[in-house]
Amino acid sequence: MKNETANSYEIKHLTFCKYELITPNKTITLSFPQMLELRRNINELTTFASLTRIVNNENFVLLFVADKQHLIYLEIPQLLHLKEEIELFFHAPASILV
Amino acid sequence: MNTIVRKQMSIHPDVMDMLNNQIGMEMKASAAYLAMASWCDQRELLNSKAFFYKQAEEEREHAMKIFKFVNDNGGAAISPNVTNVNNEFESLKSIYETGLEHEISVTESIFKIFKAAREKNDFITEVFMQWFVSEQSEEEDSFRSILDIFDLMEGMPLKMIDERIPTE
Repeated sequence: MKNETANSYEIKHLTFCKYELITPNKTITLSFPQMLELRRNINELTTFASLTRIVNNENFVLLFVADKQHLIYLEIPQLLHLKEEIELFFHAPASILV
Repeated sequence: MNTIVRKQMSIHPDVMDMLNNQIGMEMKASAAYLAMASWCDQRELLNSKAFFYKQAEEEREHAMKIFKFVNDNGGAAISPNVTNVNNEFESLKSIYETGLEHEISVTESIFKIFKAAREKNDFITEVFMQWFVSEQSEEEDSFRSILDIFDLMEGMPLKMIDERIPTE
């Protein structure tokens, strides 16, 4: 149970251009461009080569978010969980045209 | 498309990633052509140098066109890293051969974006990419025509071959 809480990351949509990243320690308000930047950083960090480098070295990452206003500490399970959360947020299946 | 993301972006996020890769590819091609232009410039191959300076500018224009398109449609365009630019070449002919290979790889990459845009019903990107498909056809043709000149003038002095390279 404790582990689940430690890994929990959630993204909430507040208003048209305001989003919230809820981390175990704090809640960070993000604009859409900041969300895109977070997505890019997380995608870069979770490539096979990058994950291998992290695992073989410090085993965690420090990531600036929201135009460097916040710094978050992520271990591998948290990093992967955040990636899933972002993927879910940006998941955009092709629309069905009838 | 997911309504929240769709309200912010007109293009598909996965296609946006591919467009950002394409920006990097075009900028790398621009840097590669600049290196080729410099090689020709140092050897007083006037028409070839003019050709490659022009190519370098054109590739940058292509990158900028995509860059602005991504931002104009609510995405985030990324300024790319351009590294490992080769500045050493064996001959003028090998430069044009490398140039053709560059163009072919750029064309293939554009086809992939076009296909992905079509699969994801991202018609805005699909229509935008149509210009690039036609442009690549012209680019490949110009390199092939120049390589034909090398074959037709085989054994002639390099300066004479260079004088036959079209400048327009």
